[in-house]
Amino acid sequence: MKVSFNELQGLSRKAFSGVGFDDGDASDAADMVVWMEAHGLNGIQSLKRSLAFILEEDQSHSPEIIYQDADLCVVDAHNRTALNNASLAIELGYAKCRARGLSVTKIRHCHNRMLIVGYLSRVARRNMSVTAFWRDSHQPLTEILVSFKAGEEAPEICMYSLDDIPDDTEPNDGITLVMVNHVNLMPDFKADQTLNNLLHQDKHSMNNWQKHALAEGIEVEPEMWDRLKELATRILVESSDDSRQGAGAGTSDND
Amino acid sequence: MSWADTLSTTDNLRPADQVMQLDRLGSMFASRLSFARSLVRKMIKERWQISNAVFDLNDQGHGTAIYRITTPQGLYHCVIFCRELRADQRSDRVIAEAWDATFAIVEGDVEAELLQNMADNVPLQEAGRLSSRVLVLSRANKSLRNFSQFVAALAVGEQPDPAALTAVGYLYRTTAVYGNGKFGIADFARLERNTDLNRPFSAQMLAVYVLRQFSIEQLNHLARVQAPDTAAELAPELQRYLGIGNSTGLGMAPFLINHPQLIQQWIYGRERALACARLQPASEKCRNKLLALMLRAHRYLQQTVTEDQAQTQRNRNIVQSVQQVIDWLERTPAHPALYRELTDWADKHSSVEAQELINTLLIEMYPELVDSLDDELGCHETMDLQPDMKVRKLKELIEQSFAWALSYSEESAEDNYWFWYRSEEKEEPRLGIRAEESGAEKETALAIGPRISRCYTLLAEFVQNNPSAMVVEFLMAHSKQKEIVRRIQTMAPTPYGEIRANLWHRDMKPMHLLRTKLSFFGAGRFDPKSDRWVRITLFQGAPLGVELTNPALSLDQLDDWSFPIQPERQPGKQAEAQ
Repeated sequence: MKVSFNELQGLSRKAFSGVGFDDGDASDAADMVVWMEAHGLNGIQSLKRSLAFILEEDQSHSPEIIYQDADLCVVDAHNRTALNNASLAIELGYAKCRARGLSVTKIRHCHNRMLIVGYLSRVARRNMSVTAFWRDSHQPLTEILVSFKAGEEAPEICMYSLDDIPDDTEPNDGITLVMVNHVNLMPDFKADQTLNNLLHQDKHSMNNWQKHALAEGIEVEPEMWDRLKELATRILVESSDDSRQGAGAGTSDND
Repeated sequence: MSWADTLSTTDNLRPADQVMQLDRLGSMFASRLSFARSLVRKMIKERWQISNAVFDLNDQGHGTAIYRITTPQGLYHCVIFCRELRADQRSDRVIAEAWDATFAIVEGDVEAELLQNMADNVPLQEAGRLSSRVLVLSRANKSLRNFSQFVAALAVGEQPDPAALTAVGYLYRTTAVYGNGKFGIADFARLERNTDLNRPFSAQMLAVYVLRQFSIEQLNHLARVQAPDTAAELAPELQRYLGIGNSTGLGMAPFLINHPQLIQQWIYGRERALACARLQPASEKCRNKLLALMLRAHRYLQQTVTEDQAQTQRNRNIVQSVQQVIDWLERTPAHPALYRELTDWADKHSSVEAQELINTLLIEMYPELVDSLDDELGCHETMDLQPDMKVRKLKELIEQSFAWALSYSEESAEDNYWFWYRSEEKEEPRLGIRAEESGAEKETALAIGPRISRCYTLLAEFVQNNPSAMVVEFLMAHSKQKEIVRRIQTMAPTPYGEIRANLWHRDMKPMHLLRTKLSFFGAGRFDPKSDRWVRITLFQGAPLGVELTNPALSLDQLDDWSFPIQPERQPGKQAEAQ
């Protein structure tokens, strides 16, 4: 089924509230999912894959700073979703970058990492260059690099797998963010690098995708739409004769 | 000083502490910057054509009508479906499931496939799914009393009593007008580059305006069907005096609270217009023009009828207060600072409603100075955190810009009396009494004042222990405060975005919230049905579709339709025969 951008954003926000996200996290998470979907990056599919996991999580916990100095911070998301655990870590990196010109932020033990791209767009909007790097799977070992130029709406994204894996490599569920205030860091493959399964998504195709989404709507599976609606009903109050009076309307409009 | 400089000045603006009080916002009148006025002015300037393309109605008036809207830049259609509505289904509330008329505005042509899709879905409203080429979805119910009286009168060649339109100024009243992506229709963002409809709510206003034209043509059709030999058409002055009603409730409130940047833009626009008008030197001609506008508004208010006792008393008070303003104007000679003297005098002697009426009419006086603001009432809404701000600075910001919120007390029963929520019945917004009703644990976070106050309490404690910390570190410790901190940081530099009231307080009057938004829409004839439910009229007095393209009628003539006066009763055929 086709839904509008605003409709998907509104329903996702209510669904995240229904899951137990705080108001700010619910609207940030909805923005992240919808930004990804509208830019052709499968935000809804990512959410669908992890929804059962998110529903099991305790949403009252906040990410924890386990180390910080003037330029670097390490935040532990305690094996929870990036949707409501990454934004403050990113903001911490942003604040350090504003003070020092460059910052490195590492978020440890975090899933739904791809969705973080939706929030990074806000950093770029605020005129800061940001690059995110993480390894997504172990067999084959895949690396993802996302880089926003300051002030630009969409990033360059590179995903590639590596043939030559060091023996002692362990699965990695973290993400590293580098923010720079005065120059741009853009991904550029080494000339002699052989890359397998390369995905290179450029900002122009993402911007075009967004225009298409606004003009034609966004395709969502009806089952997923119903699931979001069901979660959103958790914030609604059961109706009763008393509550019907709470709207303040009369009972008859036969005039 | 040139007018452009005047319009951009911030020296003469009223303080937010005065403007943003809920009772003052709830006393505002529609002005020439209201969205209905602004749309009509654009239609006049650009000579939009609105013509009937399909009028396939049966003898009961049921069927389909399609109107074509042609602008210099674009083409749109308004598709209207009329069906029989059983008496037990007739309700203005959002929980209704059927209506007399359902309609939608479409961008471009309406091909057969799209029309079929609309016929299947538009009558379902919230239960349907629409194409992204649909810009607005709406529905309306008849005023049965007016409809039957009017058809009966026209069928025998008489004109209906104009007083009926003063009491209820429409044949149809809308009960929701959806835009911005609801139920699959186009996102507002899609209209950003559409110069026809990129002003706030202009597409919704267009839908309502076209329904008005349809209501007149459906009325004439029914009279003709009933008595083809004797039927008269509704007289042009009554057509002009006929508007479209709207019935609305608490659904207005969440928008006002959830879009503070847009509200800032609306009120800042209005206040700049007022500041600019008040600086103009008043000649004798200006004084006479203001007096004429004041007399017309006075007559309009005298004629306004409502069943609500409290509103009736308000209307009496304002009629009395406006009479005093008229007396003052009549005895005070014109001089350059007349407007300033008038508003200063009114601040001391007039009701808040009369003060706001004076402001509305001062804005009305200077179209050449204020109309450019029509294009400045929208904005991109983004709220970003400023994570590196020091917590001390955030605390100071709250103290300086949100002191009004800090009087809230957790312990006060009065301060925590109401809670806002959405019902599982079509998400209808409702208001509950916290101490008596269940559901408060799911309340909607509309009370910004208490949220700021709670944040301030946590912040003050944090600052004591971490005086050099950044805001993001405060939020790491208190992550639930992220949303309100982002709002505080975004809105602090803007004076007019936040309504300065505790929306949980026992004395809070929801009707003020409704009227605030409705006045920006251009609503008149406020007719409350309870303390949180109101009927209003839009486009009463507005030029007709056919007049928009009449070269003999100037912009000044056509645009002058605020505070319309009841037309004289026309003699019908029976009277003429005697």
